[in-house]
Amino acid sequence: MTTTILDPTDERVPVTRSITPRPQRLGGVVALLDISKPRGNVLLDRLAELLAERAPEVTIKRYAKPTFTKPAPDDLRRRIVEEADFVVEALAD
Amino acid sequence: MHDTVYFEIHGRPAVSIASSEFVDAAETQAKALGMTDARRVFVAHPIQDATDDEMRAKAEAVVDQVVAALTSR
Amino acid sequence: MPDAAPAFTLRDGHGEEHTFTGREPTVVCFVKKDCPTCETVLPLLGSWQRAFGAALPFLVVGQSGADNALLEQKMGGGAVLDDADLTVSFRWDVEIVPTLVVTDAQGARRRTLVGFVREEWQAFAADLASELQVPEPECHWAALPAWQPGCGSASADPLVAERLRAAAANSPLRARRIEIGAQDDEHEFLFDQGLTDGLPVVPPTPERVLRMLSGTDRDPQEVIAVVPPNMAEVTVEKVAINAVMAGCRPEYLPVVLAALEAVCTDTFNAHGVMATTMGASPVLVVNGPIRHRIGMNMKLGALGQGNRANATIGRALRLVLRNVGGARPGGTERSTLGNPMKFTMCFAEWEERSPWTPLHVERGFAPDDSVVTAFAMTSGPVQLVDQQSRSAAQLAGTFGLCLESAFAPKLHYTTDALLVVCPEHVDTLHRDGWGKAELRARIQQVTRRPLRELVQDETSGSGVPKEAAERMTAEQLGRELPKFRREEDIHIVVAGAEAGKFSGAFHGWATGEIGSQPVSVKIREAR
Repeated sequence: MTTTILDPTDERVPVTRSITPRPQRLGGVVALLDISKPRGNVLLDRLAELLAERAPEVTIKRYAKPTFTKPAPDDLRRRIVEEADFVVEALAD
Repeated sequence: MHDTVYFEIHGRPAVSIASSEFVDAAETQAKALGMTDARRVFVAHPIQDATDDEMRAKAEAVVDQVVAALTSR
Repeated sequence: MPDAAPAFTLRDGHGEEHTFTGREPTVVCFVKKDCPTCETVLPLLGSWQRAFGAALPFLVVGQSGADNALLEQKMGGGAVLDDADLTVSFRWDVEIVPTLVVTDAQGARRRTLVGFVREEWQAFAADLASELQVPEPECHWAALPAWQPGCGSASADPLVAERLRAAAANSPLRARRIEIGAQDDEHEFLFDQGLTDGLPVVPPTPERVLRMLSGTDRDPQEVIAVVPPNMAEVTVEKVAINAVMAGCRPEYLPVVLAALEAVCTDTFNAHGVMATTMGASPVLVVNGPIRHRIGMNMKLGALGQGNRANATIGRALRLVLRNVGGARPGGTERSTLGNPMKFTMCFAEWEERSPWTPLHVERGFAPDDSVVTAFAMTSGPVQLVDQQSRSAAQLAGTFGLCLESAFAPKLHYTTDALLVVCPEHVDTLHRDGWGKAELRARIQQVTRRPLRELVQDETSGSGVPKEAAERMTAEQLGRELPKFRREEDIHIVVAGAEAGKFSGAFHGWATGEIGSQPVSVKIREAR
């Protein structure tokens, strides 16, 4: 059930969850998070190669969820937030 | 989508890659999590019986979209 | 009751749609489960639906969702329409079930039966049969009670009715609605959107806001203030939304409205108050009969936690300033340290315990006016500890010495103060026949210093700049300044427990034109 609330602000800006602002280019660390469904690792391996080609200054770090049936555990998420600047999660099927 | 929403809330641009079967489910999930503009990129179904070469081709097909989803250009 | 009953389309338990068009004679009966009177009439409705249903629509509307199937059973089979979210019952103003309505070809209500009065229902059946020229089905009327009262309609249940009112087309609510995703946590959402003061808030659902609006008879769309720094117009409804978030009861709303009116005046200078690095915040004092009506605390712990009215009224004001006005720390609010008053600081004066004129009367109101006064204060409350002075002069002397440190001891003429005298200290002062005037005069007397003592020195760089002092004559340096520019800058109220010789003081902000002056507003309560 969604909850409806009334906007307590002066409404000049919508009150919604929006994605975080993006920088102009990739940099720092890109996390590749494998959700651990079969075959996803093949795609991620190739993606890692392609990203390295396109943005050689970027560091790629690989992570994996223990299971694809649930969201990632808290400590994994925290680690990724600490260690990475961008996240690619794959491959839901 | 749950994870990518978490990463966005914590200031990390994120994108999910899913098979084309997931288009509707991803939209529903994004709405349910309250982040309708959560970024997602789709590769052609099927996945499970694709060969390694086919999987690599799927990566090639989406890498530009992935980069675009993470940056503002 | 409106003349034409509203049209509707509902599904029955078999998935089929039935429509009340309002363009042909129709019988509509509202029922629900767990209602003995509905049980009495359901078999009648069943047999009438079968007997008359071919000649005119005979609609039975059930309020019990999936359990409408039970109602169908008691009818002996037939169609019960599912008024799933009770909007039809609500729009038809059904307060009791069973309610049976006969409409004419224009949709107007020709006849209404509420509850069960056997004679009425007998007459209805006989008349209908004769009009339609259909034989009246058999019924063992004698076995039925002569009279049986109905039950409350499900649409009249207070919680349900509120939801329905909020959703109705002519709802008084105009604020934008925000849908929080099903898998999103409503509290996390509110935190993440920056809508809280760091502590959880009550999610402002339309039902809660409507309930809050019952605390005032002002129009929800009335603009009551323009809130800096956004200079946003704030309506009664917007205040109500934030009051819900703060945890207010509806009867507190008039106080919050008055407080906001006070704070958004040029005199109070909310913009300056919020933006200063000094961390000023409104301190609210409430006077008059409303204190008791809404259960405010003016006694033990009045300046602390535990009392809902004190805590939430102050908080609601801060949330409006934050959410509507845009005063957020780091944004336009730039106080260096801030202080806990910025969560909430609101209390009531214990007028009955004080022999002196209460605050609002001093400020020109009648004793039985309910009034809120807003003071811009930068710190407090600090405790004024004096368990030893036996004379008024000595006790007031202690107050003076303590108050001298407002901002810093050598900074005279810069600020005001709000003194909260506790009952035991009131008694000490009153015993010697002292009132507010004597207290103020004594504070000024005790803090008088020649200007030369207020100059910077090795001990402290705070004070009159040395260069300025060096340019002054001996006469100028000999001029005596009390702490406060005027006696009126010493505001005095009475509050606190009977036991304890600990009074309190709030230290002010900048007084005068560029600063802030206290503002009092009369509280308009709902009749």
